[in-house]
Amino acid sequence: MQETVKVRADITHRYGDLLVHDGLKLAIRENEFLCICGPSGCGKTTLLDIFAGIIKPSAGQVLIDGEEIDPKRHNISFVFQEPSTLPWLNVRDNIGTGLRIKKRPKAEIAQKVDDIIGVVGLRGFEGYYPHQLSGGMKQRVSIARAFATDADLVLMDEPFVSLDQPTREKMQREVLSIWEHRRRTIVFVTHNLEEAVFLGDRVVMLSAKPARIVADIPVDLPRPRDPVSGAFTALRARCAELLHEMHIDDGVNH
Amino acid sequence: MNGVSAAQRFVPSAQLRPLALNVVSIVAFLAVWHFAAAIVNSPFFPSPYKIVQAFVTLATNGDTMGNSLWAHCWASLYRVLVGFAAGVVLGVPLGLLMGLVPGLYTATRSIVEPFRFIPPIAWIPLAIIFFSGLPRFAFLIFIGSFFPVFTATLVGVARVEQIHRKVAIAYGASRYWVLTHIVLPTVLPDIMGGMRVALGAAWLTIVAAELSGGTSVGLGRMMVNYAELLQIPEIVVGMVLIGALGFAMNEILLLVERRLFRWRWQVTL
Repeated sequence: MQETVKVRADITHRYGDLLVHDGLKLAIRENEFLCICGPSGCGKTTLLDIFAGIIKPSAGQVLIDGEEIDPKRHNISFVFQEPSTLPWLNVRDNIGTGLRIKKRPKAEIAQKVDDIIGVVGLRGFEGYYPHQLSGGMKQRVSIARAFATDADLVLMDEPFVSLDQPTREKMQREVLSIWEHRRRTIVFVTHNLEEAVFLGDRVVMLSAKPARIVADIPVDLPRPRDPVSGAFTALRARCAELLHEMHIDDGVNH
Repeated sequence: MNGVSAAQRFVPSAQLRPLALNVVSIVAFLAVWHFAAAIVNSPFFPSPYKIVQAFVTLATNGDTMGNSLWAHCWASLYRVLVGFAAGVVLGVPLGLLMGLVPGLYTATRSIVEPFRFIPPIAWIPLAIIFFSGLPRFAFLIFIGSFFPVFTATLVGVARVEQIHRKVAIAYGASRYWVLTHIVLPTVLPDIMGGMRVALGAAWLTIVAAELSGGTSVGLGRMMVNYAELLQIPEIVVGMVLIGALGFAMNEILLLVERRLFRWRWQVTL
């Protein structure tokens, strides 16, 4: 299978004296579902902001199709951890936000929004305002907004962390099904190993600050994955072990 | 398509009940007034009927100087609208500017804030010297309505949520897009609230301004003329009309608010 690299990142980032990312190198294939895991406070959210072009790294760069990332030129989608729907827009207009920022023609926006509404299962809720929706539905609107554009890169920052367990599992399956309908390059940040192994084509493990890549684990389990299968639990256990070792290292270093 | 808001839009019993209750309140109020006037029985305490009589006479024959009641109402209303519009047109952009440019408000606070505490009435002497006619009244009303709008806008800008700004920037929005599509929708409810406060201030100011002279028409002027003649019913007609006009304008703004802000769970009073 021919696989082109979509995103190439080489990031060193500091907050004043604090080294957050230390020569973090990543190549993400086109349409790959990449999960990034790491201990809390390892700068995962900052990493996504750098991927989005919101923050410039102190050194290095993020390239999309060989060009330096620029949110005004590339189509970046972002699904945030906290609710990020715009309360004054109904579901339809919220989903169309990215397309309107990109100044797409009205007919195209209407068409694409309508298509994705069907995919995310929000048909019938087009005219609802966010305050009339549950937390899970609001997050579904954010996900639909992310997949409505022809995104070069979809960034997801622990999008299900505030949802209850059953909703969370349902949403994970939904994201996979959306991704199967609309292939995109995804960077999905989570601290939940099971989620990472369930979703990702590959799981990248970061160390505590300064963040380096300590493991890059391809997940070649067939989809749909069964979280109670032997192969799944074995892989998950391996990730957990790596994470555990990192914490021990962390203790020794300081 | 819009099931929920269609249901919220019109529920007959929910809308008619307060209306009916208000009619009952008005009738009760008039009844108490009527009997109180009958008991006191003095020309200085006119009954509601006397007020209605005065209103009808004023509306059909005009006042003692030959000005129609309509001319008095329109003169005051026009001055209020011009001054109020000026207050909004200047208050909103300045509030946005002060709210959006970091440090601008904190650096100028000691100049801006004291102005807020100089009541419009305190500007009357200067207004008498510098302006005459419409500009004088419009200026005083502008002073009264600028600060409520300005302050509400300034406070509203602080309410813009970082996450909403971040959504726009991540999807590649320009600063101008953020201003028009994130900041303005967030601040608009505050601006509307400020406008309704400003409207109240405008009506407070117009009467005082008209009392200061320089005009022969206006509800405030009319009331002073009748005060000199010791004709109380005509004065009360002026008071009632000011209340009614202010109330009507406030209701119009509320209606606009309810239409505009259907996305909010509630609209404040």
